[in-house]
Amino acid sequence: MNSMALSWRLLTRQGRAGALWLLLAGLIIATAALSAVGLFTDRVGRALERQASETLASDLVIASRAPAPEAWIQEAQSMGLETARMVMISSALFLNDRSQLIDIKAVSEGYPLRGAVGLKADLAGEESRIASSPAPGQAWLEPRGFRELGLELGETLNIGRTTVLLSQALSYEPDGGGSQFMVAPRLLMNIDDLMDSGLLGPGARTRHRLLVAGDENSVNRFQRWAQSNLEPGMRVITPADGEAQTAEALTQARRFLGVAALSTVILAAVSILLSALRFATAQRDLVALLKTFGASSRLILSALCGLLIWLVLLGVVLGGLLGFATQSVLAEVLSNVGSGVLPPPRIYPWLGAAALTLMLAMGFALPPLLGLRTVTPIRILNRSLDRTHPMSIGLWTILVIAGLSVPSAQLGDPKLALIVLGGTTGLAVLLALMAWLFMHLTHAFSRIARASWRFGLAGLYRRRAAGIVQITALGLGLMALLLLLVVRSELITQWKATLPDDAPNHFVVNVQPNQRDAVYDRLASLGVQNLQMGPMASVRLVSINGESPPDDRFTGQVNISWVSQDQIDQLPPANRITAGQYFQKDSVGEVSLANRWADRVGVGLDDVLVFESGARTFEARVTSLREVEWNSFNINFFILLTPDAGQALPHQNIASFHWPQDDASKLRVITDTYANVSILDVGGLIQRVFDIITSVSRAAEVVFALTLMAGLIVLLAALEATRDERRHESALIRALGAHQTMVRRGVIIEYGAMALIGGSLASGGAGLLGHYLATELFGFNYQPSIWLFVGGLFSAFLLIIGSGWLGNRSVLATPPMRILRAA
Amino acid sequence: MNPITSPKQDCILSCQHVGFRVEAPDGELTILDDISFDLKSGETLAIVGASGSGKTTLLGLLAGLDRPSTGEVFLAGQALSSMDENQRAQLRQQQVGFVFQSFHLLPTLTALENVMLALEIAQHPKVKERAKEALEMVGLGHRLSHYPRQLSGGEQQRVAIARAFANEPAIMFADEPTGNLDRRTGDDIADLLFDLNQRVQTALVLVTHDPQLAERCQTTHTIDGGRLAS
Repeated sequence: MNSMALSWRLLTRQGRAGALWLLLAGLIIATAALSAVGLFTDRVGRALERQASETLASDLVIASRAPAPEAWIQEAQSMGLETARMVMISSALFLNDRSQLIDIKAVSEGYPLRGAVGLKADLAGEESRIASSPAPGQAWLEPRGFRELGLELGETLNIGRTTVLLSQALSYEPDGGGSQFMVAPRLLMNIDDLMDSGLLGPGARTRHRLLVAGDENSVNRFQRWAQSNLEPGMRVITPADGEAQTAEALTQARRFLGVAALSTVILAAVSILLSALRFATAQRDLVALLKTFGASSRLILSALCGLLIWLVLLGVVLGGLLGFATQSVLAEVLSNVGSGVLPPPRIYPWLGAAALTLMLAMGFALPPLLGLRTVTPIRILNRSLDRTHPMSIGLWTILVIAGLSVPSAQLGDPKLALIVLGGTTGLAVLLALMAWLFMHLTHAFSRIARASWRFGLAGLYRRRAAGIVQITALGLGLMALLLLLVVRSELITQWKATLPDDAPNHFVVNVQPNQRDAVYDRLASLGVQNLQMGPMASVRLVSINGESPPDDRFTGQVNISWVSQDQIDQLPPANRITAGQYFQKDSVGEVSLANRWADRVGVGLDDVLVFESGARTFEARVTSLREVEWNSFNINFFILLTPDAGQALPHQNIASFHWPQDDASKLRVITDTYANVSILDVGGLIQRVFDIITSVSRAAEVVFALTLMAGLIVLLAALEATRDERRHESALIRALGAHQTMVRRGVIIEYGAMALIGGSLASGGAGLLGHYLATELFGFNYQPSIWLFVGGLFSAFLLIIGSGWLGNRSVLATPPMRILRAA
Repeated sequence: MNPITSPKQDCILSCQHVGFRVEAPDGELTILDDISFDLKSGETLAIVGASGSGKTTLLGLLAGLDRPSTGEVFLAGQALSSMDENQRAQLRQQQVGFVFQSFHLLPTLTALENVMLALEIAQHPKVKERAKEALEMVGLGHRLSHYPRQLSGGEQQRVAIARAFANEPAIMFADEPTGNLDRRTGDDIADLLFDLNQRVQTALVLVTHDPQLAERCQTTHTIDGGRLAS
């Protein structure tokens, strides 16, 4: 008989009798949880990417000083991608003897490839969103442009030799997020009109963009092609390089979903390991019997491996379907999330989950099955002659590492994987050690204790090998659940808190030094909240430690700011020092840099930077590096100087504030009084970040629910492991005259001890891991509360003793004779 | 050193100077010491002895379930200690049947499936038909789809006997086959065993501490303190 046929028969016969259900359930739940989490997070992730793509109005941008060659457009189109062209130029318009700078964005048909522009047919009217560009002869001007130019909707405007009709007011551009500090109002027009205007002559300072969008694979392919064909002055921009706030939110989102997915993987692994251990133990007699009948070790081993493959296949198909159904329901329920309709599910996450289940089965279920090869046939006559050869630690390690390598690789975030998996391994070792220690310490006590204590503690000691595995598994399962709870409730709440209700939703730009106090007071009197104002100058980086910057990209204009002398030693809100020391009262000639800029330019602490502003140059030494929460929407700068260096520079002031009302018309009093001042509404940008947080928060809830299911299976598997032995013992002492109460108490004491060790270490582990994740990855400061510990311990007691109680109820309800005869 | 010689032509089982020792906390423990006897094809042999005398261990060694520490067992003319576990398994598959005191039926398989499993391992050409015949032979033709828990002790042992005889082995090993049964059921089972022994001409080695059962065998060997007493 061949091994596959034998494995199939074992599967059908053992399966029908219910011997395989726990292992199968473990595999089904693992696949269901992994595929549901994978499919769902993939869809949410893609929805977030799509949102991020809106910040570019496309999936990919090729930015250049000259128009992108026609060959590039043809290449993109040959890959099935959509394209659109964009030219940006600043131009001064003369109206009624007054010159006004406007920022022209001319686009070809198709723009925006992602997202939509917001238009108003009436300046005070409702905004409507359309995914379309101005037709030739028409242009859309930003509302403040009408105010500053003194124009009305429906009037015409001369752009060079071209005349355009101002048919709509432009209230929102998907790719306008980075232009908060844009001084001039935006005019969106057709690219053909700009070509005819004569503004694009030689020497014109134009910026060109080729926008590309399409399916993910084609975009990736085009990106690779573009990277290898870049010409000087060209660069590729992806959504990840887009506006800081969205990019940062997206990275955080991926990390949160990653932690959630890893927690599920840990639970699935533990569940598979436990059910496989129980299955393998139950198969020892079968293996001995088969050997007695004359089956070779090889046949048995191949048949058991075959059985595992059948089970994995079944688990993958059934779990995959369950996972698919679950995530579909969730996606339906969450259809109201700000990210809008989720993109359709893809097959990759499902395949990934299937591969992962296979790897987990290999890593966690195969080792116990391989251990069966050493069962001796003499066991069938005399169990005491069965020599067990535990599998080598080396082989276990290889298989377990192989099992966990897939999720770690899939995650693409080594630091996160290291923290979670390293922490889990550490906790597993600690749990096993503590369990061992507890059993030995209580063993001495059990000898002098009362009957039920003796029965309970002695039971734990007698089954100490199984008990250590049970406590470790229970602890890991609880830890994964609690960690997810920490992520879901604490960390995401903190993340949400970074975007408070009074987060600035308006910026004021171009406030001249002599208008500063007046504008500040006027804004304050209007009732704006969270008002901050600071100076801003545009400078050029000339040298680093006496040498020119390595890349001419860094020699362009960069905005800097400085602090006032009376607040010199106060770190601005939403900033955190990561290296060096922030300014002191007597600091002079110092500069503090945001990590992001410092990394990009390649400067560090104690480097001396020379900047140029007009004809004036000045130098400053880097004394601190800062991590900036761009999501806070406060005014933040890459470069912050001490007052001595900045005060003398020509500058303007900018402000940020929160306007609590929907109607922003009251703010017009500022722009009406100070014509040069502009107020920008960044509410859309805040909404986008808020949508990302909401999506992730909901996704984490969903993952938690799924993981809870996996956790319950782990619990059940852990407690099932010694059920038969416990049934037999209970029956025996009842036969000897023990009262049911004693048996019950004994069970509670035994399970209570497991809950105490597992629950306390799991709570501690989850708190510690949560703290590490918060500080090392998410940039929060999370201190685990005592309630996590208390709650974790309480849940452990409730779940473990509850399950133990339920599991043993049938034992107490069955006459001891029946159990003893069946043994 | 005791000499090991080739067994005679008509010997199905030859046990020569067999000893068995295990590691114990206080040092090495001798379970069996210098056991020798022969058994011809179709003959019946009872091994009797007190509890802990080593008779079940001897049965295991005779059937090739483990290797002796010293001496040699020849089963169907083949020396077991020169064979690895898989070769011994192959030999058992072709030549040996087992009946155990605690039946050792797989609780998850029906009566028919329990018998079929042994035939499947032995690669019998007509597994199902033969399994049915064997169960009918032991009077359980009407209990084919019953699980062990749905059968009485006597019925379970009948299934085990059907399983052991289904492949018509050259030698049958029975470890306390009536040990878990009442006298009357035990007698029925013993009748069945000896009846099949006659019909199939299978040699029978049974371990028992029941003198009545032992008396029905052509030969009886008594083990005492790990040695052959007669």
